Amino acid sequence: MFSQFIDPFFETVYLTIVPLLFSVLFGSIIGTVIYVTGSRLILQSDKKIFRVINRVADALVNICRSIPYLILIVWLLPVTNFLTGSIIGTKAAVPALVVSATPFFARMVVIAFSEVDKGVIEASLALGGDLKDIIFNVLIRESKPALISSVAVTAINLVSYSAMAGAIGAGGLGFEAFQYGFARRNDELMFIATILIVIIVFAIQIVGDTLAHRTDKR
Amino acid sequence: MIEIRNVSKTFHTNGEIKAVDDVSLTVADGEIFGIVGYSGAGKSTLIRMVNQLERCDSGAIFVNGTDMTELKGEELRKKRRKIGMIFQHFDLLWSMSVLENIAFPLKLAGMPKEERFKKASDLAEKLGLKDKINDYPRSLSGGQKQRVAIARALVSDPDILLCDEATSALDPKTTDDILKLLADINKEYGLTILMITHQMETVQKICHRLAVMADGKVIEVGTVSKIFADPQNDLTKKLIQTVDTGLDVAKMAQELKEHYPEGHLLRLSFTQETSGKPLLYEIAKKLDISVNIVSANIKNTQFGPLGVMYIHIEKRVEIAAIISELTNQGVKVEVI
Ligand SMILES: Nc1ncnc2c1ncn2[C@@H]1O[C@H](COP(=O)(O)OP(=O)(O)OP(=O)(O)O)[C@@H](O)[C@H]1O
Ligand SMILES: [Mg+2]
Repeated sequence: MFSQFIDPFFETVYLTIVPLLFSVLFGSIIGTVIYVTGSRLILQSDKKIFRVINRVADALVNICRSIPYLILIVWLLPVTNFLTGSIIGTKAAVPALVVSATPFFARMVVIAFSEVDKGVIEASLALGGDLKDIIFNVLIRESKPALISSVAVTAINLVSYSAMAGAIGAGGLGFEAFQYGFARRNDELMFIATILIVIIVFAIQIVGDTLAHRTDKR
Repeated sequence: MIEIRNVSKTFHTNGEIKAVDDVSLTVADGEIFGIVGYSGAGKSTLIRMVNQLERCDSGAIFVNGTDMTELKGEELRKKRRKIGMIFQHFDLLWSMSVLENIAFPLKLAGMPKEERFKKASDLAEKLGLKDKINDYPRSLSGGQKQRVAIARALVSDPDILLCDEATSALDPKTTDDILKLLADINKEYGLTILMITHQMETVQKICHRLAVMADGKVIEVGTVSKIFADPQNDLTKKLIQTVDTGLDVAKMAQELKEHYPEGHLLRLSFTQETSGKPLLYEIAKKLDISVNIVSANIKNTQFGPLGVMYIHIEKRVEIAAIISELTNQGVKVEVI
C-alpha cells in the first residue's frame, strides 16, 4: 500500500528542491538588482540607466508573476525541450516551476531588503563600504531571517505548484491524489497523499521558522 | 582641518528645496565645532556633504587638504575611513555582536579577522564596553549603543568625527556621559569633531566654536563664549534662551514679575571672564544693597562656568549704578 507513495513522494521532493535552488539563485540576483537600482543612497548616483534597469526588471517580475503556472508550462514548451530534452516527465516540469517561483522569490528579496534600516546602510557607506559590502555584509546579513522565511514560503509554493505539474506527467503526490485518489474514487489513497503533502509543508514551515528565529538577533 | 567653501545643495524631490545655500565654514584641527539650528535648517545635509554621503551642487569641501567633492570610488571610500561618523539612532548592525560592529569598518578595509578583533576589543575596553563585546545591540541601552557606535567610528583611527544629533535620542544623564566621552576623546587624540544638534545646551557643554544655521544659510559663527554672551541674530538669541533652564524666557519673566511685583528684576548673562569671581557679592557690598538671586543656571563649559542668572533688587535702589558696575565686569544685563 505504502510502496506506491514512495515514488510520488520523492518526485514531489525533487520538484520542490531543484526548482527552489534555481529560484533562490536567480531570484536573489534579480531582487538585488531591483533593490539596488532603486536606491539612490546605495548607488550614490542618479544615473538614468539605473532607473531604466530598475523599471525593466520590475516589470518583468510582475509579468512573470501574473502568468498562471499551467499556461507558463505551455509557453515554455520549446525552452523546456531545449533544456531537458523532453517536454514530459518530472525533469520537464522544472523550467516552468523555476520561471514561476523566481519572480516570487525576487519580490520577497526586495521586500526583505526594504526592511533593512536605511541608517545602517548609510552608516556602512560612511565607514567606507562599497556596493559589494553593502549587499553581502549589510543587506543579506541584516535581512537573513526574512530571507530564510522567504525561502520557506517559496518552497511551500513549489509544493503546491508541483501538484499541477502532473499535467505534463511530472508525477508527485498531488498528481497521485488526483489521478488515483479522485479519478478512481479511492478515498483512502487520496487521504494518505494529502496527509503526506501536509507533512511536507509543515516540515518546511517548521525548519524555516526555526532557522529564521535562530538567526534573528533583533 | 575641514574647509567648507561656498557649498550649496538643492533637492528636487518635492518641489525645489534649497537645503544648503552658499555655506562656508572652517573647522580647525582639534576643535569641537557645533552647528545648531531648527529642524530643516540643512544641518544634516551639510554634515553629510563632508563625507559626501550627499553630493554638493557647487562649492568645495577640503578635509585635510583633499577636496572631497572631487573624490570617487575607492579613493572616496579610503578617505571616508578616515572620517568617523555617528548618528542619532546609532545605526548599528543588529545581526552583528558588539565586537563585530566595532570591527566592521576594519573588515570593510580588508583587515584580517584576528587583527581587527584585537583592535576592536582593545578599544571596547577603553570605552567601558568590555563585558558587552559578545552581546548583540538589542540588549544594550541607548547610551551603550552610542558608545559602540563611537568605538566603531574611532576604530579606524580617523582624523575627524562627524556627529549627526548624536545625543538627541538619549536621556539627559546619558547625554552628559556621551558628551563627556566625546570631549575626552577630543582631548586625548586631538580628534577634530564636527557635531550638529538642535540642542544649544549640547553645544554649550562641549563645543569650542559654533555656527547657527537657518534656511540653509549660516547666520552666525563664533566661539561659544562669545555667542552665548552676546548673540547677534534674533534666532541665535531664541536658541540661547531655551538653554536658560529649559524654560521659556518670556514665561519665566512673567512669572517672576508676578512673584515680585515690586522692585527690579535683572537678567544677567555671564561669560567665562566673570563667573569665577564673587562679583555680585562685591557689588552688593560696595553699593550697600541686598541682592536676591531668584534663579540661576550656571553651567560648566569648555571655557569654565557660563550661564544666566536672575536677580531681584529692592525698589528703593537705583539700578543704573548696578547695571554699569556689572557691565564693566563683562556681565550682560537686561532689565525685565
Ligand atoms: N533626500 C532629500 N530629498 C529631498 N529633500 C530633502 C532631502 N534631505 C533633506 N531634504 C530637505 O532639505 C531640508 C534640510 O534638511 P536637513 O535634514 O538637512 O535638515 P536638518 O537641519 O538636519 O533638520 P533636523 O534637525 O530635522 O534633522 C529640509 O527641508 C528637508 O526636507
Ligand atoms: Mg538632521
